[in-house]
Amino acid sequence: MLTKKLKIGIVCPYGWDTPGGVQNHVRDLAEFLISAGHSVSVLAPAIDEDQLPDYAVSAGKPISIPYNGAIARVLFGPIAYARVRQWIANGEFDLLHLHEPAIPSISLLACWAAEGPMVGTFHAAAKRQKVIFAIGPILEPAIEKLSARIAVSEAARLTLTDHLDTDAIVVPNGIYAKRYSAGTFQEKWAGNTIGFIGRFEEPRKGLQVLVDALPIITRFAPDVKVFVAGPGNPKEFEKEIDPQLRDRFEFLGRISEQEKADFMSSVSLYVAPNTGGESFGIILAEALAGGACVVASDIPAFDSLLGGGEFGALFESENSTDLAKVVIDLLRDENKRKELAIAGKTHAQIFDWDVVAQQIFSIYEMAIVGGNGVSLSSDGRAWGRFLSRDEEKK
Amino acid sequence: MKSGLTIGFLVLVGIWYLSFSATRLDRLHHRVETSWANLDVLLQKRAAIALEIAHSDLADPASSLLLTGAAYQARDADVKNRSMAESGLSGALGLLISDGLAHASESEQALLQELSALTAKIRVAISIHTDAVSSTQMVRRKFVVRTFRLAGTAPLPVTYEFESDVL
Repeated sequence: MLTKKLKIGIVCPYGWDTPGGVQNHVRDLAEFLISAGHSVSVLAPAIDEDQLPDYAVSAGKPISIPYNGAIARVLFGPIAYARVRQWIANGEFDLLHLHEPAIPSISLLACWAAEGPMVGTFHAAAKRQKVIFAIGPILEPAIEKLSARIAVSEAARLTLTDHLDTDAIVVPNGIYAKRYSAGTFQEKWAGNTIGFIGRFEEPRKGLQVLVDALPIITRFAPDVKVFVAGPGNPKEFEKEIDPQLRDRFEFLGRISEQEKADFMSSVSLYVAPNTGGESFGIILAEALAGGACVVASDIPAFDSLLGGGEFGALFESENSTDLAKVVIDLLRDENKRKELAIAGKTHAQIFDWDVVAQQIFSIYEMAIVGGNGVSLSSDGRAWGRFLSRDEEKK
Repeated sequence: MKSGLTIGFLVLVGIWYLSFSATRLDRLHHRVETSWANLDVLLQKRAAIALEIAHSDLADPASSLLLTGAAYQARDADVKNRSMAESGLSGALGLLISDGLAHASESEQALLQELSALTAKIRVAISIHTDAVSSTQMVRRKFVVRTFRLAGTAPLPVTYEFESDVL
């Protein structure tokens, strides 16, 4: 029912040039909405303004600050605030969609500066922190301006209810499911193979857990091979691996979207041993859509994405013995593997952009009811009411 | 002189804070109103579809009677009895759908599909509305707001109790 054509402003809090889940989500959503005939403008921090697509506007160069245990490329300050206000004033938007409005970046600034229909999407999932008691009262008046809140997963929703005392509607992240199901079987990745995609140098991606599990796996499946795709320097990592097992690993480097689809259709098992810090697990959705049989750690995000084990096997997080056990069982049982892969592929359709964008759009529709578009907010709103009421009396 | 300045400054900050809180509250009231309007429209639509189903071949005379009654009740109920009436309608629809799906013709199938799409929207609208109401109630409970009567004559919004499992 994407019938009404809207003018939508989307704010991305993180630097557009650096790859990341939120940036990908914003880009895909913007492109989907544009292809559905809406007019979209994305405001994002960017290092190189020339690299931005037509629909994106730069808010300035991002600043790198440590936030939530990682380096976040965000943007704030008086100049950024002025740019945000200018973008809102010139945009004449029907609706603003702010991503991660609870982190100190331009989404929060936009939430502060604007008035009217606004939708916020919360991506992050974090444990309850003490610091929230200090910043909660500052965030609250801004966050409560949002007409509707979206959380990308149950974990993100719980974080929101814990931290800011407000509820949200869960709409998952989107993937282009068709692109992944169109992957072709590649002989080079087939056989007794295990696939892994991600920045393997980051400890929280958990490749080390898989490395530790390999000695046990090779005992039962001597010809097993592990393919690791993703950016990073394999030389450093290989030093850590037992020399006898080193030739079992093959590092593919960064792979294209097309190769990713082929990869997922070819490997016997896709393993996601992440130890935490995941809110949604988009890579699992992609793996499922690509028809891979997935083995993942039982962190909350993965557990809920895999339906508690219905659409992929789970093992106890950071327990390499358990991982080895699950992997061996599945490598031996081809039928079980096929069953899981088929169940997963069917399930993955709910993450397709056609479905997800529809859900997001129906929330947009609810947010714009009764609104007259987005404008700059004035903190004298109550005064305006008060004064005009007096005038009416006269 | 110095203490005079300090007091003046504090008074200014106090006035700003009052004005800020009033603006915030006004915005929240607006949010409650729009989200309720939203939900209201969707519920009216649902009652209309329920009537259509009641008049279709899908419903036997008894359930048709039940459904028509529930739909009219839901339409006519005032704010206080609204949620109870709507829950009644949910129940009546649930009864019919659970055994009606098997022998539905094509046009009735379309009707049921429309209903399920609407139900999903209603669920979202309820959650948006509940959220707006609870944030408003929270701010209304604040000391400053109560002491200075910042809410004016606006009534305290009431939570819309909806048994979501019935839907």
